[in-house]
Amino acid sequence: MSLRIMPKSLLKTWIKHLQSRHFKVVGPTERFGQYVFEEIHSADELVMDYPTSVLPPKKYLLPPRERLFTFNAKTMEMQPDIQAVPTVILGVHTCDMHAVAMLDKVNNTGYADQHYKARREATYLVSVECLTPCMEGSFCKSMGTLTVPENYDLHFTDLGSDYAVEVGSEKGAALLEGCSAFWEPSEADYARVDAVIGAKWQHFPYRLECDVTELPDLLALSQKSPLWDELGERCLACGMCTKVCPTCYCFDVTDEIDLNLEHGERIRQWDSCQIEKFAVVAGGHNFRSSRALRQRHRFMRKGKYQYEAFGLMGCVGCGRCAASCLVHITPVDTFNALHRLRQAAQNGSAAENTASNQEVQA
Amino acid sequence: MSAKTLPRIAFFEFTSCEGCQLTVVDTLQDHPELLNAVEIVQFREAMSERGDNYQIAFIEGSCTRPSDEAKLKEIRAKAQIVVALGACAHLGGVNAIRNRMALPEVREYVYGEKAAWFETYPARPIEAVIKVDASLPGCPIDRNEFAMAVTHLLQGRLPNLPDYPLCIECKLLENVCMYQRGKTCLGPITRAGCAAICPSYGDGCEGCRGLIPKPNWAAMKAVLREHGMTDAEIDSRLTMFLTYQTMQLEAKAAEG
Repeated sequence: MSLRIMPKSLLKTWIKHLQSRHFKVVGPTERFGQYVFEEIHSADELVMDYPTSVLPPKKYLLPPRERLFTFNAKTMEMQPDIQAVPTVILGVHTCDMHAVAMLDKVNNTGYADQHYKARREATYLVSVECLTPCMEGSFCKSMGTLTVPENYDLHFTDLGSDYAVEVGSEKGAALLEGCSAFWEPSEADYARVDAVIGAKWQHFPYRLECDVTELPDLLALSQKSPLWDELGERCLACGMCTKVCPTCYCFDVTDEIDLNLEHGERIRQWDSCQIEKFAVVAGGHNFRSSRALRQRHRFMRKGKYQYEAFGLMGCVGCGRCAASCLVHITPVDTFNALHRLRQAAQNGSAAENTASNQEVQA
Repeated sequence: MSAKTLPRIAFFEFTSCEGCQLTVVDTLQDHPELLNAVEIVQFREAMSERGDNYQIAFIEGSCTRPSDEAKLKEIRAKAQIVVALGACAHLGGVNAIRNRMALPEVREYVYGEKAAWFETYPARPIEAVIKVDASLPGCPIDRNEFAMAVTHLLQGRLPNLPDYPLCIECKLLENVCMYQRGKTCLGPITRAGCAAICPSYGDGCEGCRGLIPKPNWAAMKAVLREHGMTDAEIDSRLTMFLTYQTMQLEAKAAEG
């Protein structure tokens, strides 16, 4: 919508301004050498140029554990528990912004998830332009997530001494209201933004050996690939890949009740398709009893099913799962291995065709 | 509700430190309402009365000598529901470390010249002797999990406790993975439910809550080797709480 310039020295002022307006301000902070999204009490805690976070900012939209409603088992009354604290999330990477776009689609398709919706509406997303690759496992450039999608409220670009602040929505504009930290840009500022963003691309490698648009077909043709058994052999089924994923949203729902068996609550918690019980149905049958089937399911979701259902890729290339996997199962290696197997199969059949054509001709 | 309709529960101990029962006493401080929800008829750790008319038996400790068996069977016959309380009852616990050693030497080491006075044999979880309806894992048990298990029993169902790997719980806490800290951890093959207490305080998981239903044993060992452990060190790591379970798996593998 419009561009503003904020000297970095005034970031503190702005955060204080937001807090005085009773916003909960969260952002990346350092914890034991890692970075986690946490509530910011002062701007000193904020690390805007963090590499990546352990859990994605998704945790503020879809908490790992939340109460859906409370109930009284004696009177059979229930009370929905929909809580939404106005929250500003600072420093969201572009891959995670793409993931939020995906979560928005999923949670608003069909009957909108009221808990998610309320929280999402009260959330202000302040994204940040990634200027250098955050870690080895990330492959945002290949996935097309190295530019910010249009769901940001504010988008920051680090210009050295200043931030360029792109206002993306009415909500974003509201965050600037009454704060003198934001200046009108000059012609030179536009040129600075262009130069910084233009220069960044060369630093990011393409890591997929095929185009992202080929992934759904590649996976469709790889249903019976021997690679899944190989991954199943290696996989610990620890579930970490799904916990750190910015687009995983599967959950389990349980009821908890007090010892008087009167006051209870219905709890929703993140689940994981990688654990043994995930696909167990009434009667005890497990639809995905082997680790190979569960890994296949995971990659099918990320590269095919989600795209078919929502038009967006289920993987945004953040690389968190690759970084946390103790047995080195990564999306880049998996997609590339499938691509190579496919190419080898095609070359093989092409060679066969040529051979049989030659036979016919002879 | 009159006191007469409350479920009657009793606590028993076999070879153990009784730390799990101590945790139960502790739980009563957090959840005093427990005392209004059940009638405790036997609990040596906390009271003098000894009633034999119980419906739910919580058993701490492992079976380590022939005379334990009759007592266990007697409890089983009287109780409608038997719950194994803690790692010793659930897994054999630290008592099972000796299962990989020569028994006469162990007896000699522990009892010295009086070794012959004491009967003892390899330690086993109580499930090896009697049918167990539910197990509360951990060394010691988790107090919140105990309260939850009692609640589930009061609802007329068996406790629904997590059996997914500890990594899930640990990652949600955004702990630094032990392997990134240059340490090792049994989290990927160990049942969650402890709020990842050891990794949260900087120590790798020792497996006190037992194995997940289908641990990927080979991959776990490969990870431990990759992080610098020798086979002997791996075996010793798996010995603290998992001796009985690993020996069972080995026996199964040997059968083919």
